[in-house]
Amino acid sequence: MPVVTLYFNRLQKILGRKISIEKIVSTLPLLGLDIEEETKDHVNIEYSPNRPDFSTDYGIVTGLQGLLGLKLGMSKLKIKKGKGAIKVDSSVVRVRPYITAIEARNDTLDDETIRQLIAMQEDLHNGIGRRRKKTSIGIHDLDNVRYPLVYTTVPRTRRFIPLGSQNEMTISEILEKTETGRTYGNLLEGHKRVPIIIDSKDNTLSFPPIINSNLTEVTAKSRNLLIEVTATDKNAAENTLALVAYTLQSVGFQLFSVRISGARNSTPSLDARSMLIDPTLVNSTLGLDIDPSVMIKSLRKSRLDAKIKGKKILCTIPRYRTDIFGPIDMVEEIALGYGIQNLEPTIPESASTGQKNSLTVLLNAVRSTMIGLGYSEVLNFELVGKHTQYDLANRNVSNMISVINSKSQEHHILRDALIPGLIDILSRNIHEPYPQKIFEIGTVFYKDHPIKETIHLGCVSAYSDVSFTEVKSILQSLLKTGFNLVCKTAADTNPMFADGRTASVLIDNDKIGLVGEIAPLVIDNFKLRTPVAGFEITLTGLIFD
Amino acid sequence: MSQVLHPIEQKILTSLLEKQNLTPEELSEKTKLSIDQVRRGIEWLRFKDLIQVNDSEKHHISLGHRGIEASEKGLPERQLINYLKSLFGFSCEINEAKNQLKDEFSAAIANAKKNGWIEIHENRILLKGYHDVIPEERLIKTIASRSPAVVSIDEIEDKTVLDSLKKRPEFLILNSTKYVTINLTEKGAKLASQASNQTTNVDLIRAIDVEAPSPTIFAARSNPLQDIIDEVREIFVSLGFTELTGNSTQSSFWNFDALFIPQDHPAREMQDTFYLKETRAEKVATPEQIKRISAVHEKVWRYNWQLEEAKRMVLRTHTTCVTIKNLADQKYDEARLFSIGRVFRNEKVSYKHLVEFNQVEGVVVGKKVTLRDLMGLQMEFYRKMGIKKAKFWPTFFPYTEPSLQSMIYNERLEKWVELFGMGIFRPEVTKPLGIKNPVLAWGGGIERIAMLRFGLDDVRELYNNKFSWLRSVPKCQ
Repeated sequence: MPVVTLYFNRLQKILGRKISIEKIVSTLPLLGLDIEEETKDHVNIEYSPNRPDFSTDYGIVTGLQGLLGLKLGMSKLKIKKGKGAIKVDSSVVRVRPYITAIEARNDTLDDETIRQLIAMQEDLHNGIGRRRKKTSIGIHDLDNVRYPLVYTTVPRTRRFIPLGSQNEMTISEILEKTETGRTYGNLLEGHKRVPIIIDSKDNTLSFPPIINSNLTEVTAKSRNLLIEVTATDKNAAENTLALVAYTLQSVGFQLFSVRISGARNSTPSLDARSMLIDPTLVNSTLGLDIDPSVMIKSLRKSRLDAKIKGKKILCTIPRYRTDIFGPIDMVEEIALGYGIQNLEPTIPESASTGQKNSLTVLLNAVRSTMIGLGYSEVLNFELVGKHTQYDLANRNVSNMISVINSKSQEHHILRDALIPGLIDILSRNIHEPYPQKIFEIGTVFYKDHPIKETIHLGCVSAYSDVSFTEVKSILQSLLKTGFNLVCKTAADTNPMFADGRTASVLIDNDKIGLVGEIAPLVIDNFKLRTPVAGFEITLTGLIFD
Repeated sequence: MSQVLHPIEQKILTSLLEKQNLTPEELSEKTKLSIDQVRRGIEWLRFKDLIQVNDSEKHHISLGHRGIEASEKGLPERQLINYLKSLFGFSCEINEAKNQLKDEFSAAIANAKKNGWIEIHENRILLKGYHDVIPEERLIKTIASRSPAVVSIDEIEDKTVLDSLKKRPEFLILNSTKYVTINLTEKGAKLASQASNQTTNVDLIRAIDVEAPSPTIFAARSNPLQDIIDEVREIFVSLGFTELTGNSTQSSFWNFDALFIPQDHPAREMQDTFYLKETRAEKVATPEQIKRISAVHEKVWRYNWQLEEAKRMVLRTHTTCVTIKNLADQKYDEARLFSIGRVFRNEKVSYKHLVEFNQVEGVVVGKKVTLRDLMGLQMEFYRKMGIKKAKFWPTFFPYTEPSLQSMIYNERLEKWVELFGMGIFRPEVTKPLGIKNPVLAWGGGIERIAMLRFGLDDVRELYNNKFSWLRSVPKCQ
């Protein structure tokens, strides 16, 4: 979850009225924001990725103003007609077909606002932008922009000085040598010509979705900005632009339109949209009986506009609220405006009687039988490390099932046996009193069509006098007490077990597992100081379904 | 259970079996034990109700100073007779006798007369008749011959002799001493006769130091985390919920697509999903389910939905995949279901995060269920877990709307802690799968509850399987 830092003095300044820190901190969670850390002068909050409008303090203030009753209803975008224009060349259609843009004039950005805008841009790239695949944003110092601009494609040999560099580089060099080039270059794979924004003097402004040129770098001195969004989806591009535009308008900039034309591109409207909702849905979902007028008031506290239309409510939703899909989302907006804290919990009546799963009941019976036999229960992970599961346990890797890109070497394959994990536990308890007797009931995984999951029982006993006979007795006793079954043992071999002291466990000629003494090599690998004997049997599919 | 007897106890019981009502001294003699050992044994046995100790009193006599004098010189009347015998004519004046016998004179005259040994005639005392030894003299002699000079009253057969001597002042001293006798109780008699037959059982009699420390043994036990899982399960069953189970490996279709998480959305990475290498589901769902889910994705999210992507196998990131498939297949009008199982997140392991943990999830399907009901059920669950204070905040989940987060107040940490999340399934989830009624859902990690319950600050402790920790968690609290 993305995190944003909110400084109280800034928040109070933007809120426009002196609101106590305590009041602010207690209201933030009611917007759906999680407080990660609170200090004297700031809080770090987590916001949901579906609410990128909360990625700056200006967006959060908009929400706070509503819940605190300082400002109600929707804040409207005011866009004046501008003089700028971007022409789109049809060659972009195959690689990145859409561009949209807006100007923000007559204000400045302080360092903290710049920092937040960059964070917002990053969040939009990752969220709506799908790691820049769908949309990417470029913000430029407008005073260095020479209209009209052209959005077109160029060969990879074109040169310019990318942002953050001193030297001119070719497109190919940028893709190889810069960090963003390496990260996002794959989005342009298979295209000889790549997208570019060029000004009237043939200067490169931007190489979307990779990097801007240093020509239009935004600094704390920039008074006028150009924001452009390139995209594979027109709607996503305009949503993204609307989010940035709302934020900059809140900062104090005036918005001016940029005329877009060519190759099915057009000047964006960024208008609010409307939605009809049924008050019955609101009351039946929330379990309330409130009047439509209360719903409208609640929506206005959520910074939306609404009015009654016949038996329904007509809502107006600003363009930046990209998280709203349908009426159920408006129900939540009403709940938030109404106040979750004002909803009294109720308990629904039910005639249903509960029931445990029959497998659970059986496994718990096996569990208590093993405890009765003097074995303690342990729990290991299903996702384990190859080193313990195969290397140390001296086991065959033919059934190894791996996951992709695990962050941990201890958790990257699915276990296909329990005993390696049990021996690992023994190796972590060598200073504890002996005998040590443990068991585990858990899921193991086999390659099948595609994966077969079965539940095993594994059991080991460790102390100086442990023997094959002892664990075989335990196994027999478990099968007899638990299932009234009699098993046979037949000599077998397995690299994890000692030769000559290993047997397969048979019930009616079906092999259900292995019993034996652990091989001395394995004992050494795990640095154990006593012999170990044990068994592992399959419970599901063999002993019960 | 046989009673373990100390050798001392054993010897005393054996002696008493032969003869009852023995004094400690007699027992000491019979058992060849010291009197102190016997006394100790008597205390142990009495405590075990194997013997009875009777208090008794013994009366005996010794000689007073006149008695001692009499033992040396004879009784006054004997002295008188001896005096008379020493005189010529065997007689004397009364006054002569008075001078001779002094204080004893009256007694001597009276008794001698009574015995018919003398006659008084005109102021003279005359000897007469036989002067055999009388029983009183014999008694005094007996007493004086003893060492110490004491005789038990029981020994004296003729009690009239005693009475007559008692009448004489300062002849006898009457004394009594208290003493005890020991006899077997019924239980003791039984045990003694058994023990005397069991000569081979050495353990029966070996002494042990009952105050010495004994070795600690550890009960074989269930895993504490499993206990919490069982407790959670019981609570769900008591609230009328039926348990579902499902696989840890799932197709992306049920883990993501069916839950309105678009294929290109970072949510599929947001939860840091584990994808299985080179493994795809062969059949993910019915053609109808695939058609309707793909349609809603393409309409709302505006992208080209791929069946191949939906077939990628993942380690489930939540148990909701099991729930939603069950709801889609069963199409209940009303239901209360829950599932508990392992879920996986590709995160760096830390004191806060595990890559694998147990999640519990409950759902309620019903025509009239509401968000307030969901909050109420959550409160009821918490109440049964012993959590008294909880509150709700709005939050976001891709497949529920409205969505809430619950916080509980932890007394030990003295702060609010985030626990279960909840919400009502979005229509984009339920409608394509033919689920007509609203579905309330809530759930969260069980390890979190376990940490709060066991006072752990590091979630890894739960899977370290340190025996010292496993043994330290009270099983019965």
